[in-house]
Amino acid sequence: MALPPVLLVVAFVGLPILIGFTFSFGFTSGPNRVVSLIGQQIHTKDHWWGTFAAYRDVIHDARFAGDLILTLVVTAISTSLVLVMSLGIGVYQRMVGGRIATIMSTLTLVPLFVPVVISSWAIHTFYSGDGFMRTVFHHVGINFPTLTSTTSAIVIGTIWTSLPFAILMVTSGFQSIPDALIETAQDAGAGFFRIVRTVLIPLALTPIIIAATFTAIGILGSFTIPYFLGPNQPTMLGVEISNFFGSYNRPQQSIVMAFIVFMAASGIAVAYIWANVRSAKQSGRI
Amino acid sequence: MPIRLSLYFFIGLMSLFILGPLLWLAVHAFATNWTYPNLLPDSLTFHWWSKVFLDSALGTAIKNSLIISPIVVLLSMVICLPAAYAAGRLNYFGRKTFLIGMFAANSFPKIGLFAAIATLYYALNLMGTFVGVVIIQLLGTIIYMTWIPAAAFAAIPRNLEEAARDAGASKIRTFFTITLRLAMPGILVAIVMSFLASFDEAQGSYLVGAPSIYTMPTEMYSLVQNYPIQVAAVFSLLLAFPSVLLIGIARKHIIGGQLAEGFQIK
Repeated sequence: MALPPVLLVVAFVGLPILIGFTFSFGFTSGPNRVVSLIGQQIHTKDHWWGTFAAYRDVIHDARFAGDLILTLVVTAISTSLVLVMSLGIGVYQRMVGGRIATIMSTLTLVPLFVPVVISSWAIHTFYSGDGFMRTVFHHVGINFPTLTSTTSAIVIGTIWTSLPFAILMVTSGFQSIPDALIETAQDAGAGFFRIVRTVLIPLALTPIIIAATFTAIGILGSFTIPYFLGPNQPTMLGVEISNFFGSYNRPQQSIVMAFIVFMAASGIAVAYIWANVRSAKQSGRI
Repeated sequence: MPIRLSLYFFIGLMSLFILGPLLWLAVHAFATNWTYPNLLPDSLTFHWWSKVFLDSALGTAIKNSLIISPIVVLLSMVICLPAAYAAGRLNYFGRKTFLIGMFAANSFPKIGLFAAIATLYYALNLMGTFVGVVIIQLLGTIIYMTWIPAAAFAAIPRNLEEAARDAGASKIRTFFTITLRLAMPGILVAIVMSFLASFDEAQGSYLVGAPSIYTMPTEMYSLVQNYPIQVAAVFSLLLAFPSVLLIGIARKHIIGGQLAEGFQIK
């Protein structure tokens, strides 16, 4: 019964990735024939195993280093901020609770239901030169900076869209910690921060890591947000992959970049799998 | 109390951060024009709404989205739910392998995958076709339609089903009245998430569908570049409508932890 989705994934994810992988190493015949005919600066293999020419192109491209750094920096900053916010809200909800906590968690859920195209565009107009922030601050005499088309806007946009999932994971992790454990720590004289550090975070570490990895992988490969909100150059690799494929008509280099992003994402995915295995071991399932 | 005050300040800030951009865009849908730095639009109008509804290209995009997304969700259910049931009943190792495989497929950068798929689509003659767009959107739903229901099926105590069988219920009856009913909240969340994933999918549908098939989100790309901001605002409100409707249906279960549960392998 597990076969249909596996077949679908093999046919339309595994196979294209495999074909793309051979293409990036200069295998230009067979299924890669059409795209090799259309594309420009295609390198054909000169050894039996292929060629590194396309990889060399990308690494020596002046744009690439800037793009890669921007992508990694945005991913690191946004993921950390999302994590800090979800930990803060999660801890508040677990330790204090009440109406304010409910308002907060409902509010942060909103972005889950807004299509990324809309939210990017809404954030674009909100922080633009004639946007809300500049309009309001103008009336109190402050010249608020135009954030649209800067790296800050990408960070704002990625946080906006990643927040709900991270908060759901983290709060549900905290909620599953029994009251008795927290009360015992309180009876033993532990303060608020000590409880957070030694009880809450260690016990909810698995969902916290899952939230962090999902957020980071999502941001690494994001396209719509940097496309609408970011500067033209340097930009995130998701946009550059699309530019190289479409506008510059250099599909081979585009696929090479996709594999570089994939390698970064795989590193993060290992952390995710480790977190899941860890939690399974703790509860004695393996 | 200063702590309470700073909490209200924080909520105010979060509301501005999350709701501000949406409201600012929404007001634009009814504005004739908005001159910086005025706090209010010049005047209000429904002109942009009639413009959207009378424009045939925009109408077609709305129709395409409303046809494609339900088909994608139905297909996804047919393909994935039996697998999720099987995965929920597998031992830990089998379930882990299956679910991590589905997850790995999701961690390849989407835009790179779409570029690779486009290569395959040229060979299969799926470029610019309805089927091509459906397959692209289907791929984005798999992770939700396998993971969340698998967790829901796995969480059902086996002895409930055994008790029903002992009381004389047939296998089919047990499945429908016990198993499926208990897994329903998880399946519902999976349906909602899959619908949103399909309805909101823009990059892949654009790469594969344009210029012959436009859905609402892919139409947004050209709207934003070619029309006044007010038209994009109207279109955004229309595009957000189904999502807001779905909040009402699934909010309780999503906050209740079905979504979070679904993304942990147990």
